[in-house]
Amino acid sequence: MSDLELRIADRPVDLAEGWTLTWLDREHGVVLLRDGRESKLALAEGVGADWVVTLDGRRIAVTATTWRERVLAEADVAARTHAGPTEVRATLPGLVVAVAAVRGAAVGEGEALVTIEAMKMQNEVRAPRAGRVATVAVSPGQPVASGALLVLLE
Amino acid sequence: MQPPFRRLLIANRGEIALRVMRACRELGIETVAVYSDADADSLHVAAADLAERIGPAPAAESYLSVEALVAAAERSGAEAIHPGYGFLSESAAFARAVEAAGIVFVGPPAETLAALGDKLAARRSAANAGVPIVPGTTIALDEGGAARDLAEVGFPALLKAAAGGGGRGMRRVEDPEGIPSALAAARREAAAAFGDGTIYVERLLAPARHVEVQLLGDRHGNLAALGERECSVQRRHQKLVEESPSPALTQAGREALAGSARLVAGTVPFHNAATVEFLLDADGRHYFLEMNTRLQVEHGVTELVTGLDLVAWQIRVAAGERLPAEVLRVQPRGHAIEVRLYAEDPHDGFRPVAGSIGAWRMPSGPGVRVDAGVTADSPLPVEYDPLLAKVLVHADSRPAAIARLRRALEETLIGGVQTDLSFLRWLVHEPGFVAGDYDTDLVAERWGDGPPVAADDERLAAFVAHEARLAATAVPQPASTAAAPDRPWARAARRDGLRRAPRR
Repeated sequence: MSDLELRIADRPVDLAEGWTLTWLDREHGVVLLRDGRESKLALAEGVGADWVVTLDGRRIAVTATTWRERVLAEADVAARTHAGPTEVRATLPGLVVAVAAVRGAAVGEGEALVTIEAMKMQNEVRAPRAGRVATVAVSPGQPVASGALLVLLE
Repeated sequence: MQPPFRRLLIANRGEIALRVMRACRELGIETVAVYSDADADSLHVAAADLAERIGPAPAAESYLSVEALVAAAERSGAEAIHPGYGFLSESAAFARAVEAAGIVFVGPPAETLAALGDKLAARRSAANAGVPIVPGTTIALDEGGAARDLAEVGFPALLKAAAGGGGRGMRRVEDPEGIPSALAAARREAAAAFGDGTIYVERLLAPARHVEVQLLGDRHGNLAALGERECSVQRRHQKLVEESPSPALTQAGREALAGSARLVAGTVPFHNAATVEFLLDADGRHYFLEMNTRLQVEHGVTELVTGLDLVAWQIRVAAGERLPAEVLRVQPRGHAIEVRLYAEDPHDGFRPVAGSIGAWRMPSGPGVRVDAGVTADSPLPVEYDPLLAKVLVHADSRPAAIARLRRALEETLIGGVQTDLSFLRWLVHEPGFVAGDYDTDLVAERWGDGPPVAADDERLAAFVAHEARLAATAVPQPASTAAAPDRPWARAARRDGLRRAPRR
């Protein structure tokens, strides 16, 4: 038995028992799972402690941490104390069609900052809190990936 | 057989470009792919005989550029252009520019694209031809009269773009207070997408089913109605699953629907392929929605039940060929279902996801067809539609088709990004879907964001991650060093190995 701790959505999870795993394609993480009654294809993609396991088409994020990593992580959390500026990021990939945010301007909570066209719809990204626009990281016509920085609020 | 054209350019990308190329190959036609900078390494470029770059990644400067596409066709010596679906497929301006350059446009006449592209005008013509239309206005909404018009139509209502299609510029309105903001949003979206902010209103028919009729016509006045497709499994007014025949139609209803579809087509000069879309209410009455003057994403469903190659016929009738009796009187056989694989997260409102495909395993075997535009390790450009592939099955009956689809989806595996595969695997066991009893509210009412991950699946996922992490840290197997995979980390490891070699 290893010292790995498995967590999903930050809750510890026990390992399923009675299954065997066979690698079909290591490069892409394709595995065959069997428990003596059924067999199914699954995926294990990841590196280090962070894994995504795909079962029945659904991606499930799982962390598998060693004892050493857990001790280091606790120390890290204790070290981080200050609350910094708020990063407003794209929650979906798309095309920036309008930018209402102006550098240096004050904005109220809920005020529109950037309009992104995605899913064939225009979606307004609004300020999560009141503040001052420190940085505008995008311009109209620019494609953005999910998670891309749009605006920095101070 | 003499090929209908010597060389044909496909003004599209992804799975539909590959689909058109396959038909061309079988007809003996040379193919010309076009690509933006984001697509230089994509499958459709590799599959074509010739390839022309048409511009940078944004669609407006590449796949939507009439000038760039016509120039590419002229440079490559293409005699015809197939527009696929989406992009410029229903653009009358594009069809005119193509014909003006002496190139054949594989689609209905430009004037027909113009007439039916105006959804409001199409509603009026359909109503004049005696076809029932969804209750609503037949003139454009204006801010002053909107409240009165909507009160007349009734709530909930649906605002729609006259130049629209594919769910763009559509907004649901629940009550009078919601009118101004919904109208402004619909107008803005329609203006941005189509350059025309004209909006009309329809009553939201719910529950309703979405059923459409495939039409195919030649240049000699022959018109075939090739059965219907049921398309009620939708999110954001966009289809996810299609099947034929519709489990909701009686034989009489089927004939009435085909009759209405022919009447709508009769309001315009028509040849080539088109689809007439209808809503079916709970009592089985049908109402005209719109006519799409192009090949549909889901055309393969009709191909499976009729045995016809619709794309090949589009090309042949564009070259002037007559539809023979076996096409005009074809009898559909068995049952076909298509599911669309999208790079979207069905557990988060079907939000599109970006990234790269990892593993890619598609089903095969009897009665299974896959039309894919990507493969293992394909990047997914954010600029374009997130459709990855379509899995289609055909069997003698609907239950047999569902069994085949379940089997096919169990063989399907996609890595790298979340797809709607988890939703589809749920759907093929959903009692309402299995019974054929569902409507356009199925996704919203029965799926939502899907069930939470079962405790057993969480434990199994933990087991897999545990084994994967142990395997990743274990000493590499001899087999894997024998065929070292060409991945960045593997290359880096080999470089490190060289650097660490003793120096003299």
